[in-house]
Amino acid sequence: MSQLELRSIRKTYPGVAEETLKGIDIDIASGEFLILVGPSGCGKSTLMNTIAGLETITDGSIVLDGKDISTMEPKDRDIAMVFQSYALYPTMSVRENIAFGLKIRGLPKHEIDQEVERVADLLQISQLLNKKPANLSGGQQQRVAMGRALARRPRIYLFDEPLSNLDAKLRVEMRTEIKKLHQRLKTTIVYVTHDQIEAMTLADRIAVLKDGELQQLGTPKEVYDRPENLFVAGFMGSPAMSFVPVTVEQREGGLQAEVRGNDGRAVKLPVPEFLADRVGKKVILGIRPEHITQPQDQKNDQTLVAKGEFTIEVTEPTGPDVIALIQLNDTNVHCRIDPEHPVTWGETAELMFDMKKVVFFDPETEKRIAPH
Amino acid sequence: MTDVVRTGFRPSRVAIYGLLLLAALVYLIPLFIMLVTSFKTPMDIRTGNLMALPTDWTTIGWTKAWSEACTGVQCEGISGYFWNSFKMTVPAVLISTLLGAFNGYVLSKWKFKGSDLFFGMLLFGCFVPFQVVLLPMAATLGQLGLANTTSGLVLVHVIYGVAFTTLFFRNYYVAIPDALIKAARLDGAGFFTIFFRILLPMSTPIFMVSLIWQFTQIWNDFLFGVVFASGDSQPITVALNNLVNTSTGVKEYNVDMAAAMIAALPTLVVYIVAGKYFIRGLTAGSVKG
Repeated sequence: MSQLELRSIRKTYPGVAEETLKGIDIDIASGEFLILVGPSGCGKSTLMNTIAGLETITDGSIVLDGKDISTMEPKDRDIAMVFQSYALYPTMSVRENIAFGLKIRGLPKHEIDQEVERVADLLQISQLLNKKPANLSGGQQQRVAMGRALARRPRIYLFDEPLSNLDAKLRVEMRTEIKKLHQRLKTTIVYVTHDQIEAMTLADRIAVLKDGELQQLGTPKEVYDRPENLFVAGFMGSPAMSFVPVTVEQREGGLQAEVRGNDGRAVKLPVPEFLADRVGKKVILGIRPEHITQPQDQKNDQTLVAKGEFTIEVTEPTGPDVIALIQLNDTNVHCRIDPEHPVTWGETAELMFDMKKVVFFDPETEKRIAPH
Repeated sequence: MTDVVRTGFRPSRVAIYGLLLLAALVYLIPLFIMLVTSFKTPMDIRTGNLMALPTDWTTIGWTKAWSEACTGVQCEGISGYFWNSFKMTVPAVLISTLLGAFNGYVLSKWKFKGSDLFFGMLLFGCFVPFQVVLLPMAATLGQLGLANTTSGLVLVHVIYGVAFTTLFFRNYYVAIPDALIKAARLDGAGFFTIFFRILLPMSTPIFMVSLIWQFTQIWNDFLFGVVFASGDSQPITVALNNLVNTSTGVKEYNVDMAAAMIAALPTLVVYIVAGKYFIRGLTAGSVKG
């Protein structure tokens, strides 16, 4: 178990004008599961490769357990990595694959055998030890790749999109398995993914990256409920958060913002008091599907709740919910409706807005307007 | 696998197979003539038909070619030169193949500044005609003290072969994912360990391609052999030429044919043994396995 500090990491590739990493600062606590997430090209894989030592950094430092490892060779860093393509050695059996790193490090044979057995038991691949990687299924190869990383008992584990080559069902299974494994072994893990659901479900903390810059670092709940800016808000969550431009108005009974459906009917939504200094100004209302539902009786008397009638444009049943599309101020907005309260596309339905957890963004800076 | 629907007898099929058979025959006729002639007596050759089987089979042509025939002034057959060729070909093939594998490894997995340009220039080596380098090479070998030696010939063939073998291995290794190298580096493997423990064991198909290609090229080479070797160190191709051109009395076609067969046999054996890898190796990487 080890603690990793990334201190203002910068990386510029030779011949490329723009920096790939623009000063990343992250402290990763011992035993923490940190997920780097972002769209492709955001620099998350580059960051991971610099931690592993497979790529050099232009500036900054990487500190592992108080020791600067920025310029060390990969083999001296005591870090293991699981690759997206698994990168199993094709000419070696599963046993040899797992044992390779131990052999290179000169461990005595009986210790290697012991370690291979331990890892094989842990990942339930004992019956595969004598097979070649080519004879394994994708899920089995994935386990072997993890076994190879586990066998060395390194200080840090790096996972580079390890599940993206698996089919949807297997991906969910392995996700649970990785989580269980982490809870059992309490290892420090840095995990790269572009899948925000993977990030939400696995991480202790999530680091959202975009264009080589850290957008937000926080627990999944923080990142989901209080996104720092429009990018993070739009990236995390599926279906995504909808962004509705509104103007803050002062009325008797509090602050309000008006939203208008595509049939022209307007509803005044109550907004929180911290927007008082924005009266008369435009803000962006960030509203998640679960904030707009069918009317719920128990919420009727609550503050920051409003009801209104809107035309349903599209319905998408997902099983547990029906995702319905409406228009607010000429923007598409998703609502999450209980399938027991059917809504039909093309017809109007009464919807309930729960404004307690919605967020607001400044249209200029695209940053979240924080409560004082 | 698709199931082919059998439609039975069709004239077009017959025509195609007929043509293929004919083409195969045309290619086999010279080999057939060589083979039967080598087993004939000189008498038989003079009186009989070129295509006819020997009236009485004899191996006299083969034994004479191997140990008695005159190649210039000496009359000791071609056996000595046969072994000369082996002494030249085996080291030259192995050294050039290993160097090519190593070059290919560096040029695909440890790229340095200008490595692509380096590779591009190396490829020119595939197109330099032999004749161009004869004189400078002769001077170089002389200065190295390797003129007229088998080692000198080995050196020439290694230098000439490296361009091809590097091309083979570099293109083979380019298709191998870099993640494999990264994984090995994190496992603690160094530059040489990765080469010998990870990449070389994966290289059997391309190794066979390089082996066949280089063996055929070097064994069959005549020009370098005739220029850079003399007397006892000459390879079999040169000896064969001398044998056929040495005219004392009657032309012994059976001996000539047997000698030619002996000279051609090793490349044939190499191809038969390693041939299945050759086809596989040439198409390797075109389909992801």
